[in-house]
Amino acid sequence: MNKKNIAKYIVLLVLVPLVVLLGAVAFDDKKYIFVSACVAVLSCVPFFMSFEGKKTSTKRLVLLAVMLSFSVAGRYIFAFLPHFKPVTAIVVIAGIYLGTESGFLCGALSALVSGFIFGLGPWTPFQMFAWGLIGLLSSLLSEFLKKNKIALCVFGAVSGVLYSLLLDIVSTMWYDGVFNPSRYLALFVTALPVTAVYAASNVIFLFLLATPMGKKLERIKIKYGL
Amino acid sequence: MNRNDIAFARFHPTVLFFYFFCLILFTVFTQNPVLLLSALCGGILFCAVTNTAKKNLAAAKLYVPMFLLVSMTNPIFSHSGATPLFFMNDNPVTLEALLCGVDLAVQVCAVMLICGAFSRVMESDKLLALFGKLSPRLATVLSMALRFIPLLKRKWGEICEAQRALGYFREESFFDRIASYARVFSALVTWALESSVDTAASMSARGYELAGKKHFSLFRFTRGDGIMLALTTALSAVTLFGILLGKADFDFYPRISEINTDIFAIITYAAFGTLALLPFIFEVKEALKWKYLRSKI
Amino acid sequence: MEILALENLSFRYPAEEKDTLSHISLSIEEGDFCVLCGTSGCGKTTLMKLIKRELAPHGTLSGEIRFCGKAQGELSARESAADIGYVLQNPEAQIVTDKVWHELSFGLENLGCGTEYIRLRIGEMANYFGIAHMFREGTSHLSGGQKQLLSLAAVMAMSPKLLLLDEPTSQLDPIAAADFIGTLKKLNRELGTTIIIAEHRLEELLPIADKVAVLENGALAAFGTPQKVCRELGGTPIFAGFPTAARIWQKLGGTGEAPLTVREGRKFLEQRVKIASLSEKTNAKNEKNTLTEQKSTPALTLAEVFFRYEKSAPDILRGASLSLREGEFFCLLGANGAGKTTVLRAAAGLAKPYKGKIKAHGKKTVLLPQNVQNVFIKSTVREDIEDMLAIYGAKKDEIGEKAFSLAEKLGVTHLLGKHPYDLSGGEAQKCALAKVLAASPDILLLDEPTKAIDPAAKRELAHIVRELCRGGVAVLAVTHDVEFAAENADRCALFFDGEILAPAAPQIFFSANNFYTTAASRISRGILENAVTESDVLRLLEVAK
Repeated sequence: MNKKNIAKYIVLLVLVPLVVLLGAVAFDDKKYIFVSACVAVLSCVPFFMSFEGKKTSTKRLVLLAVMLSFSVAGRYIFAFLPHFKPVTAIVVIAGIYLGTESGFLCGALSALVSGFIFGLGPWTPFQMFAWGLIGLLSSLLSEFLKKNKIALCVFGAVSGVLYSLLLDIVSTMWYDGVFNPSRYLALFVTALPVTAVYAASNVIFLFLLATPMGKKLERIKIKYGL
Repeated sequence: MNRNDIAFARFHPTVLFFYFFCLILFTVFTQNPVLLLSALCGGILFCAVTNTAKKNLAAAKLYVPMFLLVSMTNPIFSHSGATPLFFMNDNPVTLEALLCGVDLAVQVCAVMLICGAFSRVMESDKLLALFGKLSPRLATVLSMALRFIPLLKRKWGEICEAQRALGYFREESFFDRIASYARVFSALVTWALESSVDTAASMSARGYELAGKKHFSLFRFTRGDGIMLALTTALSAVTLFGILLGKADFDFYPRISEINTDIFAIITYAAFGTLALLPFIFEVKEALKWKYLRSKI
Repeated sequence: MEILALENLSFRYPAEEKDTLSHISLSIEEGDFCVLCGTSGCGKTTLMKLIKRELAPHGTLSGEIRFCGKAQGELSARESAADIGYVLQNPEAQIVTDKVWHELSFGLENLGCGTEYIRLRIGEMANYFGIAHMFREGTSHLSGGQKQLLSLAAVMAMSPKLLLLDEPTSQLDPIAAADFIGTLKKLNRELGTTIIIAEHRLEELLPIADKVAVLENGALAAFGTPQKVCRELGGTPIFAGFPTAARIWQKLGGTGEAPLTVREGRKFLEQRVKIASLSEKTNAKNEKNTLTEQKSTPALTLAEVFFRYEKSAPDILRGASLSLREGEFFCLLGANGAGKTTVLRAAAGLAKPYKGKIKAHGKKTVLLPQNVQNVFIKSTVREDIEDMLAIYGAKKDEIGEKAFSLAEKLGVTHLLGKHPYDLSGGEAQKCALAKVLAASPDILLLDEPTKAIDPAAKRELAHIVRELCRGGVAVLAVTHDVEFAAENADRCALFFDGEILAPAAPQIFFSANNFYTTAASRISRGILENAVTESDVLRLLEVAK
C-alpha cells in the first residue's frame, strides 16, 4: 500500500466521520440528511481526484467503462424481475479483479449513471457511497474472495443487507429530518422482502457470474498486456 | 414532451446546475411552511407545464401516496409536542407532530419534484459537460458507458435470439430461465470485453495518451445565460440573507411558532418564491412569445 | 515526396517460432492510394499496426519504418497521433463516445485544440462526410455504414497525412461499402490524403488504386501498380479477389493492359468475341437448371405470410410465399433494411406471422445469425460444439468423438481449442457452422453468410453448403453477395416490398436483372447471352474456340 492509498483511507475513515460530527454540531443535529449527502459525495472525491491525476492506462479506463455499463445495463436486462439486479455483483467482481480504485469507481459511477438514465434524486449520493464502498471492500478482500466461493456468496449477501440498512438510514433521516430509531425499525421491517431479494440476487449472480467473468477479465488483461 | 421543447432546458449547464443547487439547498435547510409551499408549487407547476397529461397523472399517483405516507406516519414515530390529540398505545399523538409531518411531506415532495425537474432538464450531455470541466477522464468513462449501455441492450437481444434459434434457450421454469439468461449474460460479457480491446486501440490511435488535453462541449454561454445566472444569484443572496437573519425560522416543537410576517420576512418569501417559480415563469413566457410570434406571421 | 518507407521490416510475436512479417520493403509516395491485400492471417493487420506506433503489438522488430523521412522512433507523440490516422475493422467497437459530435471532437480534444477551432472543424467534417443531420444524435442508433463513416470523419478531423484502414468495409453491406470507398476516393483525390487500405474485396477498390501490395505468409509477394500486380499474380489464389474483368482477362490469356472495371472488361470481351467470331452458341443457358425444378419434396413452405413488429407498425412481410425443397440451396437477395432477415426469423419461428402459414413439415430448423459470434457462449470452440451436442441428446461418451468428426467435416479440427473471439472471420464462420450442425438440422437458415470473409473462405463455405445439400439439407440464405448467389445457388429470388419475387435459377434470375446483378453479367450483357458468372463467360468463349 503506497502513501496515496493511505491518504485515501484516511479521508474515507477519519475525515468523513469528522465532518459528520461537525455537521451535527454546527447544524444543531437537524439537517443530517444534507450533511450526509455532502459527506457521501466528499468521500468519492479523493478517488475521482486520484483517477484524474495519475495516468491510468487507456485500457484500464475502457475496462472500467465496460464493467460500469454492465452494472447499469443489467438493470434493463433483468427488468422483468423486480429488485433482482446484478449491480452489486458486478461491482464486487470489478473490485476483485480490477483493483481498489476501479472497484470503488465502478460502484460510485454505477449509481451516478443510473441517475443519468433513470433520474437523479436525493438517494443518488448515498447509492454512490454505498456501492463505492462495496467495490472498495471487495477489492481489499480480493485474494480471499477469489479463492473461496462460499465466502464470496456470504460477502454478497452481507453487502446486500448492509446496502439496504444504509439506505434505510437515509430514508429515515429523509422523512424525519433526524434519525428516528422506531421509524428505522419500521422501515427495515417493511423493506425486509426487498432486502431479502437483494441479498439473494447478489448471491445468485455472484455464484453464477464471478468465476466466468473473472476468467474473462483475466484473459483480457493478458490480451491487453496489463 | 420532448426535452427540446422545455425552454428552461436551453440554458447553459452551469447556470442550470447552480440554479437547482441553490433551490435544493434552501428547500432542504428550511422548515418554514411558506418557503416549502412555494418550492412545492414551483415543482408542481413546472412539472405540469412541461409534461404530458399522462405523465402528470402517473406522477400524481406516485406523489400523493408518498405525501400521505410521510405526513400520516410522523405522529406515530414522533411524540414531541405540547398538544396531544389522542393516545395510541399509551403514546400521545400530537397536533404538532401531525403538522410537522405535513410540513416534512411538503419538503420531501418538493425536493423529489425539483430533482425530477433537474433530471429532465439536465440530460446526459449537460451533465457530461459539467463533469468534463471537473474531471475530463471521468467524463470520458461516463460517456463511454452511456454509449455502451444501449449497445449492450441491443446485443443482449441479438444473442438471446441467436440462442433461441438454436433451440438453446429454456424458459420453462424460473431456474431454467435464470440459467439461460446467465449463459447469455456471460456471452455478452465476452463480447463486450473483447470489443473493448478495439475501443482502447481507437482511443490510443487518436492520441488519448497525449498530454495537454482540453475539454470541449457544444454549450455556449450566452447573454441570456448571464441574465439568468445573475437573477439566480441575486434571489439566492436575498433568501440566504433572510434565512441567516432568522427571518424564516420556524419550529414545531414544543409549540408551533407563528409565521413571521415582518417586512424582511416577506422580502425573503418573495425572493425565494420567485426563485422557485422561475422555471415555470420562464416556460410560460416562452410559450406566450411563440404564440405572439405565430400570430404575427 | 516519399511519405512512408519500410525497409527490410521483420516482426515476430513473443511466443511464436516464425516471423509474422519477413523482410518487407516498400515505399509509398505522398498522395498514393495503396491497397494491401492477402489471405486472412497473412500479416496485413500486424503490418498496419506496426506503422501506427500507438497500436504496435509487442514482439521483436527489425528493419526500419520511416514516416516523412523520419525514423518512427523520432516522431513526437503528437505527430504520431495526429499525422497517421487509423480506422479499424469493427464499426461497433471503435466508436468511443455517446454522441456523434463528441466522437468528432474526441481527437481534437486530445490534441488540446481550442473550443472555437474544434467547433469549426467538426462542423466542417460533419458537412463533408454527410453526417450533419445526425450531429447531435447518439452514436448507438447509427447503422454500420454510418458508424464507419463517422469513424473515418473522426480520424480525418485531426487532418492526418497518412490514413490507414484495416478492412473497413468487411462488416458493411455492398451499398454502404461502395459508399465508403467512394468517400475514400474523394478524400484521396480532393484532399490529397495518402491512403493505405487493407482489403480482400477488390472489385471497386482496384480501379482507383495507385499501388497494390500483396502479402503472402508475411512476405511481400508483389508490389506496384494494379497493372503490374495483375500481370505478376495472375492465376495465384490471391487473384480470386481481384475484379472479375481482370480475372476473365487473365483466364483468356489477355496481354497488355489488364481491364479493371466493367467498362474496360466489356471492351476487352467485345474484341475477344470479334476475334473468335462467335456466331451460333452464345447462350449460356443450359439444361442443368431445369433439372432442379423436378426434385421437389418441400422442406419449408411459406404461404402468403404477413408480419409486422407492432400493431401500428408497417408490414415487413406482405404475403411472402416461398417453397424450399429438400437438398436445395436457395438465395434470397435484396436491399438492406428491406426485411430479408425477417423472412429467416419467421422461418425459424422467431417472428410469429399474424396471417399466413409457415410449414416446416416436422423438420428441424436452425438459424446461423449474421453475426456468427452470437452463437458462441463458451470459452473454446470445442466446449461450444460439445454443449450443443449434449443439448440435442448425444450420449456422454460419444460427445467428444462426434464433436471431432463434425470439426473434421468442416475442416476446423485445429481450431477446437481456440477461443471463439481469437478466430478470423472465415474461421469463426466455419466453427459456428460446426456448432449449428451439431443439432443435425434438416433446414439450415443462413443470414449474410459471406459477410466478413475472404474469397478463399467463401469458396470453402460454398463447398460445405453443397455437401450439406447433397445430404438432403435444405439451405436458405439471405445475402447481398450476388456473385456468391450466382455461382452457388440452385435458385435465387428478390425480396422487395415484403414479398419474395421471381424465384428462378440464377442464370435466368440474374440475366433478367440490369442493375442488381453480377459483374460478369454486366460485362457480358449484349455480347453474350445469359452469362452471369465468370465461368459462364469462359465456357462460352471456350466453346467458340
